[in-house]
Amino acid sequence: MFVLTSFVRALRFIAAYAMANIQSAMEYRISFWVKVFTMVANDSLWLFFWWTYFQQFPVVHGWQNTDVVIIWAVSACGFGISVGFFGNASKLATMIMNGGLDAYLGMPRNVLLHACISASDPTAWGDIIFALGAFLLFLHPNPLLFGLFLLLSLAGGLIFTSFIVIFCSLAFFLGNTEGLAQQLLGALVTFSTYPMYIFNGAVRVLLFTILPAGFISFVPLQLLHQFTWPLLAAMAGFTLLIVLVATGIFQLGLRRYESGNLLGMQG
Amino acid sequence: MNIIVADHRQSIRQRVSLSLRKYTAVLRVSVANNLAYIMEVVFRTIFLVVFIYVFEQLWKTTFAVRGITALDGFDINTMIWYLAATETLALSLPQLTRLVDEEVRSGQLAYLLGRPCSYVLYHFAQYLGERLVRLVLNSAVAFTIALIFVGPPPFTWMGLLAWPLVVFLAASIEYVVYFSIGLLAFWTEETTPFFLIVNRLALVLGGVLAPLEVLPQPIRGIALLLPFSAILYGPARTLVHFQLLPFCWLLLQQVITIAIGSLLLFALYRMATRQVNINGG
Repeated sequence: MFVLTSFVRALRFIAAYAMANIQSAMEYRISFWVKVFTMVANDSLWLFFWWTYFQQFPVVHGWQNTDVVIIWAVSACGFGISVGFFGNASKLATMIMNGGLDAYLGMPRNVLLHACISASDPTAWGDIIFALGAFLLFLHPNPLLFGLFLLLSLAGGLIFTSFIVIFCSLAFFLGNTEGLAQQLLGALVTFSTYPMYIFNGAVRVLLFTILPAGFISFVPLQLLHQFTWPLLAAMAGFTLLIVLVATGIFQLGLRRYESGNLLGMQG
Repeated sequence: MNIIVADHRQSIRQRVSLSLRKYTAVLRVSVANNLAYIMEVVFRTIFLVVFIYVFEQLWKTTFAVRGITALDGFDINTMIWYLAATETLALSLPQLTRLVDEEVRSGQLAYLLGRPCSYVLYHFAQYLGERLVRLVLNSAVAFTIALIFVGPPPFTWMGLLAWPLVVFLAASIEYVVYFSIGLLAFWTEETTPFFLIVNRLALVLGGVLAPLEVLPQPIRGIALLLPFSAILYGPARTLVHFQLLPFCWLLLQQVITIAIGSLLLFALYRMATRQVNINGG
């Protein structure tokens, strides 16, 4: 019962911050909508590339246009959830280096969760709108399939966030790792948006472990094509594992954290 | 009369020479600045490696599965070297739009306007310095990777000699485009969305993801006419697949694009600087 209550409280906390972040972004209403529209156009241009590719090669290794739409939709939605709800995660390394965590340490909420949700990137809503639009428009899903898509995107969002938390938390031990984390996040996004058939051997192993692009797009694609409980369990298990690893590394590093005596204000 | 004309000519020559020395000095400082933070530039090449690897896998698999050895004149070796050349160019673009945008918003522009040099040319020299460092490093990394993946390049001496010229002109076109977008900060709340759209159009219609020959008609025809093809596709094709007639056509396209773009840029710059109020104190 206590776990359930804590979970609901955490959800309400995340929702409250998400709402506040949207209201803050909407202060510059035109800028907000231009950013959202731009991101939709950006993602659509990538789909356009794939459309031209599949015009030349209609089926490659059993893959066709709709498969790329699925991996793009699920990756974009996952990334959008990560950046839209946990947008500050990518700034953790800088906060660790300049003592920016001070503002969260004195608060009654979980430090990592609080730090991650305290900022958001408006472009994330463009990714989410694109993903939902592309999935509904090209796949015509029934409500059950659409529900599964949302669930898998949520898992993808948690994997993206945990991934960046892990590499940013290395700043506790190695110094500023923000550049490294950004580069690796870029690599993760890239690998998530290409068909898995082009990768073999050691790289494929890498894509299901250190750079978990396989769990962001390929496993969801398999589940959306042919649902099986063991595969869903594997997806849920990996998501839980990476969240626990990210939290563990952050907590471990937090013991080494030194305050920067930074004076700041937290709204 | 002859003496006056000769003096006038000498004075123009001196001014041009002084001007060139001034902007060359800015370029040299920019190169030195970027070499001082070389590790940051090296870090960025991780992304370049990932991109080339992914495209190498994509096209190798596509060729193998379809049982073809060449696609519209591109065999796998030419294709990978072509992609290495376009990625080298595309990923060496400095954050010019953001820099100009920030200078406009923060008012830093007012300090630069007071210097004895043109704001546009000062930034051009600085941009060229940064681009040069990134291009050299990216080329070294991308060409090494392509060499490992598919063996020696299909370059000809003509292509190698022509490449620096078309790359310089392509970089100049990009400068004109992205500097103009940065100047839009005088009138708009955000310039990043404009940058993002133009940049993504350049990636898709400029031939970074695949040679334009792969695109279906009529998109291919439209893409070839757009300036994006003169920025990325043209220079890369010149390097891997040099042909005299397309090269001359590319030069013409680049020169016309720069001429029209520069006119628009200076018109925009004039309109923008009229809005600047400098209060001394």
